[in-house]
Amino acid sequence: MPFEDIAVAVQIAFTYYTVIYLTGIGGLFSERSGIVNIGLEGLMVVGTVTGSFGTYYFSTKLGLGVPMGPILGLLFGMACGALFALVHALATITFRVDQIVSGVVINLVAIGLARFLSTLFFGQATQSDPGQPHLTPWDIPGLSSLPWGLGRAFSGLSPVVPVAFLVVIPVTFVLYRTRWGLRLRSAGENPEATRSLGVRVAPLRYVGVLLSGAFAGLSGAFLSVEVVYNWREGQTLGLGFIALAALILSNWNPKRLMWAAFLFGFAQAIPLRLADAPLIREIPDNFIRMTPYVVTIVVLAGFVGRVRPPAAAGRAYESAGGV
Amino acid sequence: MATVAAPVEKVRPPWVSNLGGQLFSVLLAFVVALFIGALIIIGYGENPLTVYGTLVRFAFKDVDSFGYVLQIATPLIFSALAIAVCFKGGLFNIGVEGQYLVGMLTASWAALTFDFLPGPLLMWTALLFAMLGGMIWAAIPAVLKVKTGAHEVVTTIMLNGIAVNLLGWALNGPLKYRQEGGQVAARTANFKDNALVPDLGHLFGMRESVHLSWLLPLGFVAAAIVWFVIRRMRLGYEARAVGSTPGSARAGGISVGAVQIKLFMLSGALAGLIGMQQLLADKGYLPVNFVSQLGFTGIAVAFLGQNNPVGIVAASVVWGVLSRGESALQLETDVPREFVIILQGILILSVMVIYQITRRRLARRQLQAAAVVEQVPEAA
Repeated sequence: MPFEDIAVAVQIAFTYYTVIYLTGIGGLFSERSGIVNIGLEGLMVVGTVTGSFGTYYFSTKLGLGVPMGPILGLLFGMACGALFALVHALATITFRVDQIVSGVVINLVAIGLARFLSTLFFGQATQSDPGQPHLTPWDIPGLSSLPWGLGRAFSGLSPVVPVAFLVVIPVTFVLYRTRWGLRLRSAGENPEATRSLGVRVAPLRYVGVLLSGAFAGLSGAFLSVEVVYNWREGQTLGLGFIALAALILSNWNPKRLMWAAFLFGFAQAIPLRLADAPLIREIPDNFIRMTPYVVTIVVLAGFVGRVRPPAAAGRAYESAGGV
Repeated sequence: MATVAAPVEKVRPPWVSNLGGQLFSVLLAFVVALFIGALIIIGYGENPLTVYGTLVRFAFKDVDSFGYVLQIATPLIFSALAIAVCFKGGLFNIGVEGQYLVGMLTASWAALTFDFLPGPLLMWTALLFAMLGGMIWAAIPAVLKVKTGAHEVVTTIMLNGIAVNLLGWALNGPLKYRQEGGQVAARTANFKDNALVPDLGHLFGMRESVHLSWLLPLGFVAAAIVWFVIRRMRLGYEARAVGSTPGSARAGGISVGAVQIKLFMLSGALAGLIGMQQLLADKGYLPVNFVSQLGFTGIAVAFLGQNNPVGIVAASVVWGVLSRGESALQLETDVPREFVIILQGILILSVMVIYQITRRRLARRQLQAAAVVEQVPEAA
């Protein structure tokens, strides 16, 4: 059943897509506002542990049961991600610390913070009890009954997966069709011009960075709550960096980010499901797993196509009058 | 206005005020971090002074304990030096992480392949290959930056991801340990004894389990070399010129690209040595669960040491004291051991913020001084 294997690989890819796309959208908001955020991985880590705790707390401790508990848990992970991103925002926007340094510190601190919170929440440092409540897996009507086993790709998906596909609509609308979106993008391209039009840059960038924390937090919470069903140390597996790679490949565009995230998600799924397929059998797993990074370097070096980051991303905005 | 007095010049050599200012800002950052940490400790119903006392006392309680501190500090010295070298030239080498992983890979390969080499020659070969591995991995972002303009931060992040997978592949493939009897394990075979870096701890009466090795003095030598290169050699001068104002450096006839590539090479060589503590002193083989993140920790330590070789050595020891204190917290207080990582994080954040604030104040003062000087001839 080669079709079925491919279908299952696609189904796994959907899960990876969700993680990469949500985190990537977070990075997009931040970088489009002019703040480079390489702390996405760390923000995800915080999302994993807090999302898992939120789910446990709301569904078991408060007895809210299944649909409500995990939903609140995911939102809790999202909120905690945003809260942790506030550190990056404060450091880079208010104190104008180097954005790369701050991002590295976010990643470093996140590992310790996650263990710290885990001992606080679960009484153990590196994982929570397995088998936590989660949302009921969902079959997409129509698509899940496709013949030749192809329907497998669309069945048993977490309800968060379709959300990660549909979120492109509001994101694109906000970024390209609202005044706020225009201002956010202008803050990332030319903050001096933004300021000269009477728009304050710092609040825009704050919201951009907080949104990056919220999306990365949601993505992390999705991993622990909806994929693994408990928190484990190191479960983000560097996907935050792959999201960063996808963001670059997409040229900071939310629609193209969908393709990039799915492509990289599929690359992650191949060793898990298609390892025995002809041709793929010959390539070691690790080489398939490193494709996202290689592709990104090739694109960055300008060998294939051209990408252009937001012009002011990475540069602290020096305001004249303290605004 | 012809009698405007020239600004009173303080007769202090610049390096004194510079060093004084740096020490002051680091100390201030320490105070801020310890204060925030104290609030967390109080939240746990403990006395901050007792907890901090326990942390420090534990590191110095006997010669073994301090040996562990230095063992933790050893790789951090190389790591922070690797970061600092690039930083002097305005480059951010996040890829130190990947470079040391590749360094461990090439060193393992060399130690297993050239095992016929006699005596300490094998160890030196392994160390050389560690540096070569780091340099190869650092050459990629350097050349890409100079030739295509690809930003080194992003390319090195990607190369880190590739390096992790490269090690995973090697440990399951070419370097996989095949014991007699067909058993396999995801690690390399044991290196020969003469591949290992000789122990230093026993000279001070430390017990076997402390792996304080000659790599620590090697770290001091590396720090001295970095100091010499940055302060006394042409490359150091050019690096500082490129780091502060690339445009002027280019106008002054410095080949910016060549300087950047040289800095990356030096950084990569240092990065290659980070993993040698665990490879050639702690373990004697490359395990699948090798210690990672040392490259990123090096960034924190470099900042704590203000990118100064002496400061970096001191900062590495301080970092070691804190990390060693984790066990003390677990044993003797109600504060969880993870508190130390939080404290280290707060410390780095406050160092960064205070460093930024003092630098800004310094720049403003220089600007004002320059403005005064400009006014004098006008008035005359």
